[in-house]
Amino acid sequence: GDSWGIFTFLCAALCNLPALPALNCTEELGAGQSIQKTYDLTRYLEHQLRTLAGTYLNYLGPPFNEPDFNPPRLARVERVPSATVDLDLWRGLTDNARLAANYRAYSRLLCYLRALDGQAATAELRHRLGHFCSSLQGLVLSIAGVMSSLGYPLPVGPAGPSAPPGTAGAPNDFLKKMDDFWLLKELQTWLWRSAKDFNRLKKKVPPAVVTLRLEARGF
Amino acid sequence: PFVSPAADPAVISPQDPTLLIGSSLVATCTVSPDFHLKAEDLYWTLNGRRLPAASYAALGPTTLSVALAHLNGSKQQSGDNLVCHSRDGGILAGSCLYVGLPPEKPVNITCWSKNMKDLTCKWAPGTEGETFLHTNYTLKYKLRWYGRDNTCQEYHTAGPYSCHIPKDLALFTPYEIWVEASNRLGVAVSDVVMLDILDVVTTDPPPDVHVSRVGDLEDQLSVRWSSPPALKDFLFQAKYQIQYRVEDSSEWKVVDDVGNQTSCRLAGLRPGTVYFVQVRCNPFGIYGSKKAGIWSDWSNPTAASTPRSERAAGGCDPKGGEQNTTLRRELKQFFGWVKKHAYGCSNLGIKLYDQWRVWLQKSHKTRNQVGKEP
Repeated sequence: GDSWGIFTFLCAALCNLPALPALNCTEELGAGQSIQKTYDLTRYLEHQLRTLAGTYLNYLGPPFNEPDFNPPRLARVERVPSATVDLDLWRGLTDNARLAANYRAYSRLLCYLRALDGQAATAELRHRLGHFCSSLQGLVLSIAGVMSSLGYPLPVGPAGPSAPPGTAGAPNDFLKKMDDFWLLKELQTWLWRSAKDFNRLKKKVPPAVVTLRLEARGF
Repeated sequence: PFVSPAADPAVISPQDPTLLIGSSLVATCTVSPDFHLKAEDLYWTLNGRRLPAASYAALGPTTLSVALAHLNGSKQQSGDNLVCHSRDGGILAGSCLYVGLPPEKPVNITCWSKNMKDLTCKWAPGTEGETFLHTNYTLKYKLRWYGRDNTCQEYHTAGPYSCHIPKDLALFTPYEIWVEASNRLGVAVSDVVMLDILDVVTTDPPPDVHVSRVGDLEDQLSVRWSSPPALKDFLFQAKYQIQYRVEDSSEWKVVDDVGNQTSCRLAGLRPGTVYFVQVRCNPFGIYGSKKAGIWSDWSNPTAASTPRSERAAGGCDPKGGEQNTTLRRELKQFFGWVKKHAYGCSNLGIKLYDQWRVWLQKSHKTRNQVGKEP
């Protein structure tokens, strides 16, 4: 009844609209879905990381798996990208800058995680790590997809850490355990914050199906 | 607390040592002069637990030692965490202790080939002591009459101490197989096992296992299955085994003399009872050899129930109420006894029994209709 009438009217209106310039419907459809997927992937990784971190920290042994463990960040070369930032500063960044920071951070985190699969870890851990790295690789690609669909250029430069993990490695096994601990901790914080970033971005780019910009045209 | 970038706060010696179980260790922690800490400001923990002050000794103004005796195997393969702390709990330095035993010869190497296409082997570590350290196992194999050693690549396919060789295996010729174990404390090589792939063949369990009632017979079930398809290509005979149990029991009864038929009649069962049945297969006589292969896994359990006895005390048998004559009861008990003590798939016995039952039912029918003795 009524709904058919409205639908017919909309179709007629659409057919009479001149071709939309600049931001057309298909691009926005792509971005919205990309962002949703990236958000979902971030939440999935957060969940996976809980199990992975639990298993890995048990492998490192106490005190690393104790809940209140908080070792010093022995500042040698700046290795793992720190998730600790001034929140106001972070919010003040443009979408482009924030997405680029996420892209760079996860690319480096992925490199370090891959190096974690050392000779000594158990088969179960290697399996879990491998699975997690694949998913994290998916996140990096997903972020690239979002940036591209929003028309932002991908950050240039080496995606990996400035020095390969092997050469700037920890000088002893205990320090390596501390590095591993902080890698997992930072990864946790990054994922937690990225989820919020993508959630906010999702709201800025509305679901595209009926984004006809009729208001702008005075309909 | 963040620290000055110039130097590590303290240095522990020895750093990341490897030790035998039962050995003793004296470790020292020397604080960097930048930190203005003294020996008495320090304490030690091992795997998160504080070590008693009685085991400490100040070896200098900025050096504190700790004595550890009769070390047990490492709590985790990544090493025990021996940590030097400042008084407020902050971590100054740490050292990972690897405590274990050198490996012993891996033992109990058993192998099997699924459908003659691959080979999976498993083994057991020679000693428990090697499990405290990360011990690397390498399975190697070579054809007996050719020199080249091969290394298995796919580990942990059938448990932690296993490896899978997926292809390029020769038949009708012996292989030598062994396992090398190595860890921080040493190396060990197992004895060599020699086998021909054809001698250790197993199959998938028989597919399409169906269990059904035999008409109204309340103490029998019929089991049917197919032979495993993968071995259709080569000459072999299969022998089968059936095991079955009642629903609420964990005791399996095994039927061993199934031979190479793909069906079997279970008898001597309880009426009105649910049974679980499984079948497995052993390929033997592969390419004419006399040897038995390896039993496959049991098929997934299939369930079926025997018909419930329809007779109540008064008898509501629609075929006639005269079936509970003394004669029939005694005969039934006798045959039941025979079945129980000679149960299996002896076809002659069952056929005879069936014929007798059918005859009995027919004779009761006529008796009731005509009113005469058979």
